[in-house]
Amino acid sequence: MTTVLLLLLLAVGAYLVAVIEAWTTSGRLRLAAPLLAGIALLGRESIVPRKPDQVFFEVAPVLLLISAILAAAVVPLTPDLIITDLATGALFINAALVYVLVALLMAGWGPDGAYAMIGGWRFLGQLIAYAMLIVMPITAVVMRAESLLTTQVVVSQAGLWNIVYQPLGFVLFFIASMALAFLPPFDLTTSKGELAGGVEAEYTGVRLAIFRLGRLALIITLAAATVVFYLGGWQGPLLPPWAWSAIKILVVTATMLLAGRYMPRIREADLLAWCWMFGIPLALLNIFIVGVLVLVFP
Amino acid sequence: MINGARQGKLSGLRRLVAAAMSRDLDAFLIPGPDIARAHGLDIEAAGLRLAVSPRHASVLLVVGAIPPALREAAAVIYAQMVRPRAILVLGTEEPSSLPAADVVTGLSQQGLIQGVHQLRGAFAEGAFRLDVSDFDAPVLQVRIEYTCPMHPEVVQDEPGSCPKCGMNLVPREAQAGAGHAHMDMQATSSHEHHDMDHGVAVEYTCPMHPEVVQSKPGSCPECGMNLEPREAQTESMHEHHHMDHDAAVEYTCPMHPEVVQSEPGSCPKCGMNLEPREMQDTQTHEHAGMDSDADHGSMDHSAMDHGDMAFMSMIDVTKDLPRSGDGLPMEWIDAPFGPFFPGLPGGLLLTLTLDGDTVAGSDARSLIENVDLLQQLPMDTMSFVEQLAGMDPLAPVAYRLLACRALENAAGVKASADTACARIGALERERIASHLGWLALFGQQTGFDWLMRRAAALQLKARHADLEQTVALKPAIQALTKQLQRTPLLKSRTAGIGRLAPDATLRGPVARAAGISDDARSMDKIFTTLGFTPANRKEGDALARLHVRLDEITHSLALIEAAGAIELPVPANIGKVSGTGEAVVETPRGMACLQLTLEMGEVVAAQLETPSTHHLTLIGALIEQQELGDALVAVGSLDLSPWEVRQ
Repeated sequence: MTTVLLLLLLAVGAYLVAVIEAWTTSGRLRLAAPLLAGIALLGRESIVPRKPDQVFFEVAPVLLLISAILAAAVVPLTPDLIITDLATGALFINAALVYVLVALLMAGWGPDGAYAMIGGWRFLGQLIAYAMLIVMPITAVVMRAESLLTTQVVVSQAGLWNIVYQPLGFVLFFIASMALAFLPPFDLTTSKGELAGGVEAEYTGVRLAIFRLGRLALIITLAAATVVFYLGGWQGPLLPPWAWSAIKILVVTATMLLAGRYMPRIREADLLAWCWMFGIPLALLNIFIVGVLVLVFP
Repeated sequence: MINGARQGKLSGLRRLVAAAMSRDLDAFLIPGPDIARAHGLDIEAAGLRLAVSPRHASVLLVVGAIPPALREAAAVIYAQMVRPRAILVLGTEEPSSLPAADVVTGLSQQGLIQGVHQLRGAFAEGAFRLDVSDFDAPVLQVRIEYTCPMHPEVVQDEPGSCPKCGMNLVPREAQAGAGHAHMDMQATSSHEHHDMDHGVAVEYTCPMHPEVVQSKPGSCPECGMNLEPREAQTESMHEHHHMDHDAAVEYTCPMHPEVVQSEPGSCPKCGMNLEPREMQDTQTHEHAGMDSDADHGSMDHSAMDHGDMAFMSMIDVTKDLPRSGDGLPMEWIDAPFGPFFPGLPGGLLLTLTLDGDTVAGSDARSLIENVDLLQQLPMDTMSFVEQLAGMDPLAPVAYRLLACRALENAAGVKASADTACARIGALERERIASHLGWLALFGQQTGFDWLMRRAAALQLKARHADLEQTVALKPAIQALTKQLQRTPLLKSRTAGIGRLAPDATLRGPVARAAGISDDARSMDKIFTTLGFTPANRKEGDALARLHVRLDEITHSLALIEAAGAIELPVPANIGKVSGTGEAVVETPRGMACLQLTLEMGEVVAAQLETPSTHHLTLIGALIEQQELGDALVAVGSLDLSPWEVRQ
């Protein structure tokens, strides 16, 4: 029952991401637009390019969606509202999201097109940049919680949210999440102006609908994970826990979607260089600081 | 009703779907959003969304008249769109090579809004239809030619055997012709051809003893026959792999072509193992698929292996591949960017040879053939001015002024000081709009959404603003400049990219960004009295060009304020005079120069030199060995207008 409810909430969340995204780009808040777009997409032909790698082409959008759903399974919205409170939850999120890379590589390879192919390979480079910055801040978070249970991570922030306790980790994780969700300015893999849509370019109709749904689910999942790790999850005064979760997740989503509008796309070389030259040392520093704090103020 | 309806009965659920489609229209623009903005169209305000890939578009929006080469490219784009699809044409007769337009309206925002309204109705009523017809155009035809696997120089239209070695010729798609080199539609060469280019390993085997295989020619140790060449085993595995999803496969004897069967086995005549090949009728099959299944890019999977890699030596596979700058052998691919690429000016076709994501070679040309524009002479002066003004939709005022000045110089007439001042107002207003249009395109290319929207909105305002409205733009321009100064990533995205040394081929803002203060306006007395000083930067990179254009917008605002009037140039009545004249105008892209000869009041000869013609030749050296994103920024920063390129 909880599983069905949470999958339903994930779908609603993905829908809201689409609404917010349209609002951040066009400045108009249209609640029905994603519904119309979705129906229209389902009604359009979904064609297979001429020389595809059929398996990769068909599987990629589905895999992207599954990857996001798997990660969402260990994110709690309230103490009880979680699909499965895995003992290795915090680590599992990271493991599930690795399949985003696989999905995008397959989507790049599958259709046998130059733009898609370059888009796919670009994401491989992107993974090398962001991957450590997902897992190292999570390490610092679970050090404080002394547990990999995501529910325990939230409980550990009862006194002080992690965004205050380890702001450095928050910034790194937030940026890396945007890179993982290939949101602007990290949309190297689906860039419109450089690759005419990149890995998305060859998908049409129902396949494109699934791909876009997968992307939206990925964004909402990462926003929810950010809330759990750094913003105290469901905790907050007056309002019920689920409401706090919802509000925080939507605010994080909107921030993620808005940030990229005000800057040009990052250069791939810069992304890699900065992540390794500055990001990883800072993440190590964060782990060190949190380690000291945990020891000194247990 | 729309011509590109999807097959099906419009009933029940489909009616709902069609209604949703009519509210959700994505448009692919021909020749491009830059031209739409230059014509004052606000696509999103009219209720359309911009699609960057034809695959995602349901409406092909043709803006204004488009030259023949672009029409063909547009047909390819249309073929790539999935059904239901419609064509909306603004302000021109229906372009041949496309099916009949579903809606034709005038080239104005009003016309666009009206057209979108009609399209919505057409989609709701006719997105599905029982009788749909295929779209076919000459440009979409794939020509099959036959070539010998061993002698690439042997190419013929008919199947047969090689005059040199007697081997059966293999079919392949003809190399991309002029009409084929469009957006992601370069005719994909067949696998065989592709591999030959890069010299896939060939091995030699005895026709009688297939177990004898060696890497060099020679004779068979068992029977003494000459060994025959064939593509290495791994290659046939590739083909096999592809055939699984490509086409029906038949089996034939390498020695007895008349032996053909649908299953593997051995030849009843010589006992050799039959070899698989694609069935002849795949040609028609692929051909028919062209309508919607057009291929993308000229890369195919055969050379980058999926799973058979274990069987081949990497050294063998890569030995004949071209070497990159870093010594790593990679599969090079040719990818077309344009002529309708979302991050480049519409009409510009940039073909990049990519080594990974690094540019190994490039070819840039304009598909807008304006060459014969000046060959329609003699012409009366009025139509000459109109012709030249209509040549470049991105800078109509500058070319109108150029024509007027050249005519007046030839006739020895001088425009009054007031008129000259007011003309400068119009020229500078166009410069503001043009630079803003460039900023919007730059924003679009780099995914800088805010800049794209802000600059486009300002461009629409500035385009036909009167003096008061232009001056009122000042705070908005200042705010834009300020925002750009504190935009994160902007500097790293542009600094050092597309660096050009000061050089005589540079014109306009590109030259002034490289430290050459070369500006036709400094030679003009009226400009100097208005207090003109040319913008100047030294770095010569994309960032410097961005700054120069921002500076020039501010300068132009000041000039318009000083000029105190805006008036479109109108040619003076010069009567039936004869003479020669020359004029120079600093267009938004740089100095354009026109020489003309008048005879009895008619233009009989004219010579035009434009900045983009010069800049187009710079591209090759500019982007060599650059990463793809940087290369596109570098090309974009030149602000080329394919419309003024004279090849």
